[in-house]
Amino acid sequence: MVAEGALAAGCRFFAGYPITPASEIYEVMMHELVARGGLALSAPDEISSLCYCVGASLRGLKAMTATSGPGWALMSETVQYALMTETPVVIALVQRLGPSTGGATQGAQGDIFLAEFSTSGGYTIPVFAPSNAAECHELTQQAFNWSERLRSPVVLLSDKEVGMTTEPVEETALAKLVPVERTFVDAEAAIAAYDVSRVEDIPGFAPVGGGVKVTATGSAHDRQGRLRKPSPEVVDMLVHLQRKVEAHAAEMALVRSDLDPDASCLLISYGITARAAREAVRLLRNEGFPISFLQLQTLFPVPAEALHWAAAGIRTVFVAEENLTGQYRTVLAHLLNGKRLLGINKIGSMISPCEIVRAIRRAGGTIPRGDWPCTHSSDEAVRPSRKAGV
Amino acid sequence: MGNSTCLAGDAKLPYCRGCGHGLVVRQLSRALEALNLPPRSMVLTTDIGCVGLADSLFPYLHTVHTTHGRSTAMATGMALAEAVLPATGLKPIVMIGDGGAMIGLLHLVHAAQLNVDITVLVHNNFLFGMTGGQHSAFTPLDWITSTTPEGNRVPPLDLLSLLRMAHAGFLARQFATDSNLGEVIADAIAFPGFSLVEILEICTGYGGLKSEARSQLKTEAPSFPRKRESTGSALRDVVKRQGYSLGRIEAEPPRPSFGTIYRQQIESRNPVPENPSFHSPISSFQFPVSRSQDSKRLHIVIAGTAGEIVQSSAALLCRAALSVGLYSTQKNDNPVTQGSGFSLSEICLSPQPIEYTGMERVDVVIAASQEGWNELQANGTLSQLTSSTLLLLDAELEISHPTGRLIRQPFRRDATPKRAALAAIAFWLGMEPVVPSVAWDAVLASLPVERREDVSAALKVGQDLASRGGACAA
Repeated sequence: MVAEGALAAGCRFFAGYPITPASEIYEVMMHELVARGGLALSAPDEISSLCYCVGASLRGLKAMTATSGPGWALMSETVQYALMTETPVVIALVQRLGPSTGGATQGAQGDIFLAEFSTSGGYTIPVFAPSNAAECHELTQQAFNWSERLRSPVVLLSDKEVGMTTEPVEETALAKLVPVERTFVDAEAAIAAYDVSRVEDIPGFAPVGGGVKVTATGSAHDRQGRLRKPSPEVVDMLVHLQRKVEAHAAEMALVRSDLDPDASCLLISYGITARAAREAVRLLRNEGFPISFLQLQTLFPVPAEALHWAAAGIRTVFVAEENLTGQYRTVLAHLLNGKRLLGINKIGSMISPCEIVRAIRRAGGTIPRGDWPCTHSSDEAVRPSRKAGV
Repeated sequence: MGNSTCLAGDAKLPYCRGCGHGLVVRQLSRALEALNLPPRSMVLTTDIGCVGLADSLFPYLHTVHTTHGRSTAMATGMALAEAVLPATGLKPIVMIGDGGAMIGLLHLVHAAQLNVDITVLVHNNFLFGMTGGQHSAFTPLDWITSTTPEGNRVPPLDLLSLLRMAHAGFLARQFATDSNLGEVIADAIAFPGFSLVEILEICTGYGGLKSEARSQLKTEAPSFPRKRESTGSALRDVVKRQGYSLGRIEAEPPRPSFGTIYRQQIESRNPVPENPSFHSPISSFQFPVSRSQDSKRLHIVIAGTAGEIVQSSAALLCRAALSVGLYSTQKNDNPVTQGSGFSLSEICLSPQPIEYTGMERVDVVIAASQEGWNELQANGTLSQLTSSTLLLLDAELEISHPTGRLIRQPFRRDATPKRAALAAIAFWLGMEPVVPSVAWDAVLASLPVERREDVSAALKVGQDLASRGGACAA
């Protein structure tokens, strides 16, 4: 469905390299994109995959690649290049159990930090996290649209369980977003490559090979795109790369909420764990336990306003995610001052609805704030990975 | 104004005095002038290093200054895009050093294999000049650099021989001082496909010195020697010692670029038929599940041997379920290898949308082979069994006494090993009509004709076994 979403969004270029659990996207694109007149090809490594995509995007094509943690590690140089040169590109990152080769066929949500905090300078890369096939379809379109609008790399962060589980989708219910096309600058206009009047503006795009001269560089540059030592203008350009994303944070905030006005607890989750969380919420409510639920589809920029809205009047916030240290909980912590913030974490297999219910019941409002870093227990023991692979 | 492909008239070259890079940009300028191409049909793609300073010297060309070694890959992407764009004849020219060629070697190899229409100018001065004269994969033997104080002991790469093996179509090696360098560069740019010119230079800042020469100098010049007396003799010496050939070397006969082949392929394709759409669900059907705890969901594990059509059979079950309006999820597992060892599918069926896709209990276990059964033991599935779990196993399996309602049938013998999993599924549905048999008609109708016979044969074996009363527990 990621591939279908990409096609619906107008993707015309794909370069891939096999890696479980992202290979299916690659295979589907090799068939479907070719059939629809786009170009899909195999690259000799993940560095090349993303470089090919960036090269094609510099010529004006919407481009995507798909990978998992080990491949993303190789791509991070080129992600930053795309960020610096303001080249739109979408990377579907299908998480598996890490670190290193990890468990190729085990799901995980352990790449939150890796996806978001791997740029030198700490820039915000938009990250969308689908939890099922239909959301893969919709959020891939969102990823493309925001990539084009912001002229930025965008990550679609799923995992093995979302990416490799077959489930039916109602075709008529699939979201069909209007594809956003990047704004091409007038061929007659002699403008600077990164001409923005305010730092948060997004410059028009001129394709390589077109009538307007392109000056692109991964080095710090002035408005003309020329490599320069830091000057106020160059620093402005560096600030611009961050501000242009922040300026659209509220618009990009996609969440699904299911709030209970009587609740003093809020459960937050995203991706595959949001599905178990939704069932857990149903089970708890059936028991008469009032609880609010917030699924985050946009992880970055952090949907702070939605969070504040959902957490109003809430005393305890649980964040359920399939990683060891509560990566996204850490990201949220500073936004939830004054509330008890507890993690429901596990690695090795999906967190089940019952495990979430147990963790929430156990916390029960009796444990003093700060004494509950996470809810590891013997019945949530980590199952060792039996397999490795590409 | 705006139409010159040449160096800016007033260009002050940013390179050190006597550096070969200055000669190369002038020769490139001459080549572009001779070719008389529109300036916007070229993109100068420069790498990291002193070589990356060329961008601003050609004010009317598109310029893309990349990360280290990636110039070739970015240029390849730009050239590939041509295959699906209205043809513009865009020609990327890559300016890269020997350091960039080393770290980006795979990009050069793949660009040569793809035969993308790009021209690569490798400025090989045998070391990293910009960062202080460190040695590279191209540093000649015995050279003293800041990182080979006793002389380089690693034989250098012969880039042209290497790329010849990667099917490059145009390869040449020149001195930066060659008076005909401009013509060679022009030939390379005009070549339709991957072309590379390796240009040998001596870095005037850090140009290497052989270790024996250094030992001679030791007494009189204790500081690190920075320059050679004569770049010409140094280059001739390197070429001789490494056995490098000069000029254009024999390469692959001309062949179409990847983009050209691709364009022809997509133009000659027939329109793709739409995916066959899957008929409306049989909405009147009631999901007859009663024995599981929440009565809304069934968890089925189907295990067998890779290559024996286990996961595809599981997918057919999901399709059958879908045709009667059930929701399903399917997850597959197999070892690292795809064609050996076990193969298994976990299926969840439910009349309602399925959120959590894991199994907190197992309702039905189907094992069509010993390997499949062994895996269920190894992965902990068997420890989840309860007395109500239905175990549907092939009669040949060697098993200890598992918990659950055990049924054994000769699926492998009667249906063949490749049809055993599907026969077992059909047997189960014959016994417990979770999905009505009419659903199989819908599945068969959705299959390509050539698969139908196999699938119906497997289904028939399973249904016959079920109707013969094999459904009593063993």
